[in-house]
Amino acid sequence: MPELIDFGKRAVDFALRSGAEEAEAYLSMSIGTSIDIERGQIVRSAKSMDQGLGVRAVYGKAVGFSYTNTLTLEKIEEAAKRAFKAARASRPDKNWLKLPSQGSFCETRGTYDKKIEGLSSDELVETAATMLEAVEAYDRRVLAVDGGVGASVFHTAVVNSWGVEAIDRGTAVGCSMETIARDGADVTPACFEVDAARVYAIDAEAVGAEAARQAVSSLGAKKIESGAFPVIFAQAALRPLLSYTLINAVKADYVQRERSALKDKIGEKVASELVTVCDDGLLEGGLSTRKFDDEGVPSQKTVVIDRGVLKNFLYDSYTANRAEVESTGNASRSGLVPYASTPVLEASNFVFKEGSMSAEELVGEVDEGLLVYGVQGAHSSNAESGEFSVVATPVWKIEGGEVAYAVRGAMVAGVVFDVLRNVSALGSNVRKMGQLVAPWIRVENVRAVGSR
Amino acid sequence: MLTKAVNYGRSLGAEYVEVRAQNLFKTLLTTKDGIVEGAKEGTESGAGVRVLAKGAWGFVSLGKLETKQLTDAVEEAVRLAKAAGIRVKSPVKLADVKAIEDRVAATSRKNPQNVSMEEKIDNTLAMDKTIFGYDKRIKSCTISYLDVTGTNIFVNSDGACIEQDKLYVWSRVLASARENSVYASAREEIGSTSGYEVFDTETPEKVGAMVAKRVIEQLKAKTPKGGSFPAVLGPNVVGVFIHEAMGHLAEADLTLSGSALYDKLGKRIGSDLVTVYDDGTVKGAFGSFKYDDEGVRTQKTALITNGTLTGLMHDRETAHKLDMKPTGNARAEDFRSEPIIRMRNTYLAAGDSSFEELIEGIDFGYYLKSFRGGQANLDGTFQVGIQEAYEIVKGRVGEPVRSASISGNTLETLHKVDAVGRDFELWPGRCGKGQIAFICDGGPHIRVGEVTVGGGA
Repeated sequence: MPELIDFGKRAVDFALRSGAEEAEAYLSMSIGTSIDIERGQIVRSAKSMDQGLGVRAVYGKAVGFSYTNTLTLEKIEEAAKRAFKAARASRPDKNWLKLPSQGSFCETRGTYDKKIEGLSSDELVETAATMLEAVEAYDRRVLAVDGGVGASVFHTAVVNSWGVEAIDRGTAVGCSMETIARDGADVTPACFEVDAARVYAIDAEAVGAEAARQAVSSLGAKKIESGAFPVIFAQAALRPLLSYTLINAVKADYVQRERSALKDKIGEKVASELVTVCDDGLLEGGLSTRKFDDEGVPSQKTVVIDRGVLKNFLYDSYTANRAEVESTGNASRSGLVPYASTPVLEASNFVFKEGSMSAEELVGEVDEGLLVYGVQGAHSSNAESGEFSVVATPVWKIEGGEVAYAVRGAMVAGVVFDVLRNVSALGSNVRKMGQLVAPWIRVENVRAVGSR
Repeated sequence: MLTKAVNYGRSLGAEYVEVRAQNLFKTLLTTKDGIVEGAKEGTESGAGVRVLAKGAWGFVSLGKLETKQLTDAVEEAVRLAKAAGIRVKSPVKLADVKAIEDRVAATSRKNPQNVSMEEKIDNTLAMDKTIFGYDKRIKSCTISYLDVTGTNIFVNSDGACIEQDKLYVWSRVLASARENSVYASAREEIGSTSGYEVFDTETPEKVGAMVAKRVIEQLKAKTPKGGSFPAVLGPNVVGVFIHEAMGHLAEADLTLSGSALYDKLGKRIGSDLVTVYDDGTVKGAFGSFKYDDEGVRTQKTALITNGTLTGLMHDRETAHKLDMKPTGNARAEDFRSEPIIRMRNTYLAAGDSSFEELIEGIDFGYYLKSFRGGQANLDGTFQVGIQEAYEIVKGRVGEPVRSASISGNTLETLHKVDAVGRDFELWPGRCGKGQIAFICDGGPHIRVGEVTVGGGA
C-alpha cells in the first residue's frame, strides 16, 4: 500500500502549508472477515473495510488533531487544515518538545501470512464448524453460547515533518468460544477459551474442546470458607488483573503524574526474584508486534522487571522528552478505529519469563488453594494503589495437590504489588493472551472471600 | 441510492435487506493536569449493509458512500449470508413491525457544533482548575470530552425509511490523590442527548467539587472488612447493579443463551418492592432515542413488575423466536457495527422509604454510594467495584471506606431488597458489549439485607 505513504506526505505538506510548525500523519487500512456462532449455530458472517488518516499539527507547542475516513486529496487537505485550526484553538503545552525523528527499524518475524490475505469466508465457516463440533462432541450438557472465527489484514503508515516515513503490514487470525453447561438446575458461569495468532496456525478444535471441558468441570460448584490461600492464576485471569494495575504502574505517563506506586522505585526490589518481565514490541509472532509504534518510533525490547528488581518504565516520545530519555516505542492508537485517535502510552507484548514447572507440578505442590481461570470486575481495580477485588470465575479448589471441585461466588482481593512479591512459582506453559505473554503463575497467601 | 441498494439485495435472493448510512462529526478533547493534550475533530461517513439470506445474516461495513461500492457491499453481504447459512439448523426469522417513514431532527438549545473549540477547552479547564484548587493532595486529573453530531439514515426492504439526527455530549473526569503511601482515585461522567446545555446544570464547578471531595475523602478512608453485611446502595450503585447484574441477563439474546433469567418469564425473581424498567423515552437522557437501528420505535419496557419478570429486551430476531413484540433495543455503535440488543436508560422504580428509614435498622453495614465499575456473568454472579462508601454503625452513616467491592448472585440479591427509597437519580454511562453504547442507569436508594463485601488488602 505505497499510496498510504503518499497520502501521508500530502497531509503533512498541507498542514505545514497551513502554518503548522510540525505535522504528522498516521494512516491505517484494514479488511476483516468474521464468522459468528450464537447459541449452538453459525448464524452470521461479516466483513468490514476501514481506512483513514489522522493528522497531528503543532503550532506554538499546542497540538491539534483531525481525522477522516475518506482518503481523497480534498478530504485530506480539509483534515490537515482542521488539525492546524484545532492547534490554534488549543493551549500551549509547556512539556511539548517535538515529534519523533526517523530511527532504524528492525525486521519483525511471524507477523504477516499471505495465506490469511487469501482466506475465503467459506474456509472460515469450516473452521467455525470444526470448533462447534468439538464442543458438541465433548458433552451434551454444554451449550456453545457465543464464539467465532475472525481474520484480518492491515497496513499502517506514519509520516512526519522530521523525516519519519514508515510503513508496515500485518495479519491476524483468531477463534474463541464461550460455553456454559447445564445439568438440571445446575448452570455454570460462562467459560471461555481463545486462540489467536499472526499466522494461520490456530487450533479451533482444541479451543472448542477446552471451552467445553471447562464448562463441564464447572458443574457441581461449591462455596468455600474465606481465608488466605496459594492461588494459581491462569493467563485469562492474569491479563485483566495486570492490565489495570501493574501495566499502568510502569507507564511513564502514570509515573510522571504521580499515579504510580512504582514512582522512584527503579533499582528496587518490587517482586519475587522469580519474576522477570519485558515489554517486547519485536517478539516473534507477538499479537502486538510491529516494526514501529504508532508515532513511527522503532519497536524494541525493554526490560521492566529483572529478577524482581524494577529496571525501566515504558515511554512514548512525549513522556520520554519530558524525562529526557529515549522513547521505548510504546505509543499506541487503540481501538477499532486507530486513525481516529492521538497516540496513548500502552504496553506492546508484556512478557513474563517462563518457569520450569508443568501445570501439574504447580498444582501438585498445593495442599489447599485455588486455580483461577478468569476474573470479573478487574476494571474496577485501583490503578494508583494496585488494589483489586474481583470475583474469580471460573475457579476450582485445589486439595491435596489435585484440582478437586469448582467454586462458586469467591472473591479474591489484594494489592498487585503484594501479589508480585508473593509469587512462588511460574509454569512453563506460556501463552499469548492479548498483550500478555505469560505462563501460569502461583502466588502465596492471597485473600479469598467466600460467599455465604 | 439506499433504496436501490436494498432492492438490489432482494433481487439477489435475500429475504431481508437493510442499509444504514451515516455522516458523523466528532469533537474530542483530553486534558491532563491542566494541559490540553490535543484538541481533536473528525469526520466519518460510511454505511452498514445487513442482509438475511438462507436463514443467516451477512453484514458488510464500508467507509464510503458511493453507489458502486454500496452495490458491491450488498453482493458481498448476500454471499456471506449464504456461506454462513449452509450450517444453520434453526433459520433466523424476524418479528413483523410496521414500516415507518419519519424524519427526526435534533432539538438542542445549544448544538455542540455551534460551540467553539475555545469554549469547550475553557469549560474543560475550568473543571480541572476546580479540582486542583480543592486540595493540594490532588495529584492528577484527566478530563475527556466528546461530542457527536450527524445524521443516520435507515432504509430496509420492508419499506422503512427513517432519517434521525444524532447528538451526544459526554465528558469524563478522573482525579487521583496521594498522601504519603496512600493512593486514591475517583471518577465521574456527564452525558446527554439534549445538547451542550447539559453543562448549564452540570457545571464544571459542581462536578469538579464532587469528584475532588470524593477522592480526598478516600485518603482517610479505611478498607472494609470482608464478609456478608447488610448494605444501603445509593442510586448510582443501584443503577450499575440493575444494569450489570440484572439488565444484561434480560437482553433476550443473553437470556436465550442460558442467562440466569432463562425460563424465568412470568416468575418471581425478586422481592415485591422491585420494579425495573428499560426506558428509551426519557427526554434528553444519554440512552434515549426515537427509533432503534432496526427502525423500531423505542418504548418504556417493564422488565420486572413487583418482583415478577414481565419483560425482556428484544430485537426483531429474538422477538420472533420468543413470540413477543420487539422493544426497540437494537442498537449499533456506528456504521461499522451490526445492531445488537442493548440497554437504554435502565432503572429501578422509586418506592416510599426515606433515607433515614433505610439505615436506621442497621447495626453494622455499609453505605455504598458511588461505583467504580461493574461486571456480571451469565449465571448471575456479579461484581461491582465501589469508589465511595461509608460504614453504617448503629443506624448512622459513619467513616469512609475505600476500594470496597460487592458481589453476589443477582436473583438472590433481588430477593433480599427489603426497602426502596422515594428519591430517584439517573446517571449516564457507556456500556461495552463488543461495541460501545451510550446509556443511563439509576434508581432510588435501596436496602439489601445481605451482600458479600470484598475489600482491599
